[in-house]
Amino acid sequence: MNFMNNIIEDIKSRFNPENTEIVKKNQIAIDFKNEEVHSALAYLKSQGWKQLTILTCVDWIKENKFQLVYILMNWDNSITIQVRTKIDRDNPKFRTVINIYPGAEMYERDVHEFFGVEFEGNPNHEKELFLELWDDLPPMRKDFDPLAYSKKKFDVREYKVDFIPKEGEAE
Amino acid sequence: MKRQVKLFLGPNHPGMHGNFSVHLYVDGDIVEKARPLPGMLHRGFEKLMERRLWMNNLALIPRICVPEPDINEMVYAMGVETLAKVDVPERAHWIRMIILELARIANHLMSLGGIGGPTGLYTGPNWAIADRDLILDIFEEITGARVYHMYIVPGGVRKDLPKGIEKKIENFLDYLEKRLPEYDDLILKNPMVQARTVDNIVLPEEVCWELGVTGIGLRSSSGKPYDIRKVDPYARYDEVEFEVPTATYSDAYTRLTIKYKEIQQSIRIIRQVLDKMPKEGPVRARISRGSALRWRVPKGQVFSHIECARGEYGYYIVSDGSNMPYRIAVRGASYPQGLLGIEKYLPGTRIDDVAIWLDTMGVCAPEIDR
Repeated sequence: MNFMNNIIEDIKSRFNPENTEIVKKNQIAIDFKNEEVHSALAYLKSQGWKQLTILTCVDWIKENKFQLVYILMNWDNSITIQVRTKIDRDNPKFRTVINIYPGAEMYERDVHEFFGVEFEGNPNHEKELFLELWDDLPPMRKDFDPLAYSKKKFDVREYKVDFIPKEGEAE
Repeated sequence: MKRQVKLFLGPNHPGMHGNFSVHLYVDGDIVEKARPLPGMLHRGFEKLMERRLWMNNLALIPRICVPEPDINEMVYAMGVETLAKVDVPERAHWIRMIILELARIANHLMSLGGIGGPTGLYTGPNWAIADRDLILDIFEEITGARVYHMYIVPGGVRKDLPKGIEKKIENFLDYLEKRLPEYDDLILKNPMVQARTVDNIVLPEEVCWELGVTGIGLRSSSGKPYDIRKVDPYARYDEVEFEVPTATYSDAYTRLTIKYKEIQQSIRIIRQVLDKMPKEGPVRARISRGSALRWRVPKGQVFSHIECARGEYGYYIVSDGSNMPYRIAVRGASYPQGLLGIEKYLPGTRIDDVAIWLDTMGVCAPEIDR
């Protein structure tokens, strides 16, 4: 725990995180302001967090915010860091991190497709990856209703039973 | 004369691992451009999970990965236990390790034998699937199901081991240990497999870091034991002895050899677990008063990760304090090697090497697609 506190102190001395938290053994979560994320990621990468494990997004619809979560793993001291930031939900744009973590390219396309967040600077972020010919709200947003979508999209089929029970058989 | 042809590999192809497709632009038999095309089996697991109770999700998540479904249950249970601050009984930790290691062997067998598909050695898959079936028999006896077990639940495991199963597991391990040299002869020493895999599709270490490749890909290129079971131990992996096989040159053959060695290590782990585990005691903590279906998990965001046969597997779990997850993101272990890996490292290889990459890197379609 002491070691993790040192990491948090180090981050606090260089950046102005909004919030820091020790989530569990070997895991830290840090909330940054939008403009600090890139420099924080670059700094953490130079400190041994060489792997971007996942980039994902959480839709906080009541706050009208998207939260981007970058999870970094350091294999040498086994500490995972969640780098989190909140962006505006109405105009979701964020600068890409592929210059820091090239592997983020696909995750950014993923988040773009499922949440509609635009990653400026990622040349492929608008290319379809999973959902071909999708024509509705990005499906992982909280205001997307899968039931209404499938009702709109697919007809209700009538099921015709052509089985005629014989004598003694259950209907 | 140069002529580029577009070729569709999958979703229905004997060398394809699941419902996945790769568009290949080839000249002769050399791949010039490869474009992965997931989205063939989109069932929307993450969205479905947001609309189900914490406990109901257990029936859904094993379906994310067919060859090794138990990792999903484990990683979900670990995350939920962290958020809800549940203490898992001692015996449950050890039972979980048996299940996870058996599943790991099953997956490695499938993939080691599976190399026979792309190389034309059809005895390989036949043997491996038959031996995997013996593991499924054990699973059936423990959990009541062969493939999707829903056995590891938040708070422990669903029920205790049936009587006499330890003996059966030991018998199986004895059998498998005798059988492994035969796999060595059949697959690893086979000149046909060697001709197709040695010095083929080499993965340098920098590429692993760049893409985020974990598991056998990372271990076989960096030479370091980067395994979550060692680096950030869960269950009781810190109380058993095992080695993590590594290498410093990652061609397809090395990766196959490492899979073979990992089966041996898993056997070693299960033997120690059977020896060391407490012989009785509770296997499931009480998580809520009243019904588990009305159970609410406290607010929080946690990333839980474990080592699966293909690398680091993780769930990012967000709870807003209600009876359903607010958001769950799945980090499939084969995501980096299955998407960017294909796009960046298949050009320049031959058409028939594509299936070898998919097998030795362990690309599992539903993990990418979800």
